Amino acid sequence: MSAREDQGGAPLLSQRLLLSVAEELKLPLLQIARQAEQGLLSGTPDLQSIQATADTALHLLDNYALAVHLALEADHLQNEAVSVSSVLYDAGHQLDALAKAYDVELQLNISGRFGPVMAHRQGLQAALVSLGAALIEALPAHGQPEQLRLQLAAHRSRYGIVAGVYADTKQLSQLAIQRGRALQASRQPFMNLSHTTGAGVFVADAILQAMHLNLTASRHHRLYGLGAVLQSNHQLQLV
Amino acid sequence: MKILLIEPDRALAKTYMESLQQVGHHVQVAATAQGAIQAADAQTPDVVILELQLVGHSGVEFLYEFRSYTDWQHIPVIVQSGIPATEFTSQWQLLQQSLGVSTYLYKPYTSLRQLQAQLNELVLT
Repeated sequence: MSAREDQGGAPLLSQRLLLSVAEELKLPLLQIARQAEQGLLSGTPDLQSIQATADTALHLLDNYALAVHLALEADHLQNEAVSVSSVLYDAGHQLDALAKAYDVELQLNISGRFGPVMAHRQGLQAALVSLGAALIEALPAHGQPEQLRLQLAAHRSRYGIVAGVYADTKQLSQLAIQRGRALQASRQPFMNLSHTTGAGVFVADAILQAMHLNLTASRHHRLYGLGAVLQSNHQLQLV
Repeated sequence: MKILLIEPDRALAKTYMESLQQVGHHVQVAATAQGAIQAADAQTPDVVILELQLVGHSGVEFLYEFRSYTDWQHIPVIVQSGIPATEFTSQWQLLQQSLGVSTYLYKPYTSLRQLQAQLNELVLT
């Protein structure tokens, strides 16, 4: 069977995802190369930034690998009762160093009371970290002079509990995701959102799809964001 | 030399700025095309270093606007981007012939020293 999806030669979705990740990985590697060179030139290497950058690249690779594994095992996923608040807390902790490197203030809003949901915990956390990392890198590229903030939050909607990442930018719209998905094979698919390939968004999308969940654009208070729609489990709530 | 660095990635912008300041350049940083026009308006640069992949208006769109002002038509522009030269042929002709770009540097393999050397060459010419 051909490695192509159709006779028109369009690459498979998996190939597009891999291409997006490969392109995205150039950025942290380039940052490390230049930070290391600058460290040598100045005699004062910023090892903390280099470490944070390397960690970002490793998270992206890990999350991509997890997306592939979950897709292969989609029918046999080991779901468990998961606290949305604790997943958001852990995702925030993982994103902390990257947010500092990009001067983005990371906020955690887990004040609501949400019952447990049945989900693949590692997958859900990886999806949130992927989304968060993509947005942390994207926000300063909008050139907003004011303090940049990214909020990890959850809220109830009529579709379920939405856990996601939110910022004060209208570019995080449903239309932006739709266009980005359509242009996934291009070098800069989220042209109004990010200067990168936005691989983190695609990886999160792939992870959530493998978990039979949806990535959605949503609003939280006055912020715009991307998140996963989760169904609360009433039986678990009773327990 | 007064340099306008148009770089959307904040982490990279910090590194480039630090490196250029260290050798005595004055650096203004902008993340977007709009921000770059405002920065150039506030202080006319001697040279512009431009990344083509910006959020919103692209680097090429920035150049069209930048070159439309008489005062800025002869300011040298170095394009430094992550787009490989092989994907760049048609755009390069446009940049070179119509938009007055003198130099293209493929970012992943251009060291800080090479960038500084390129700037030094511009000073000498």
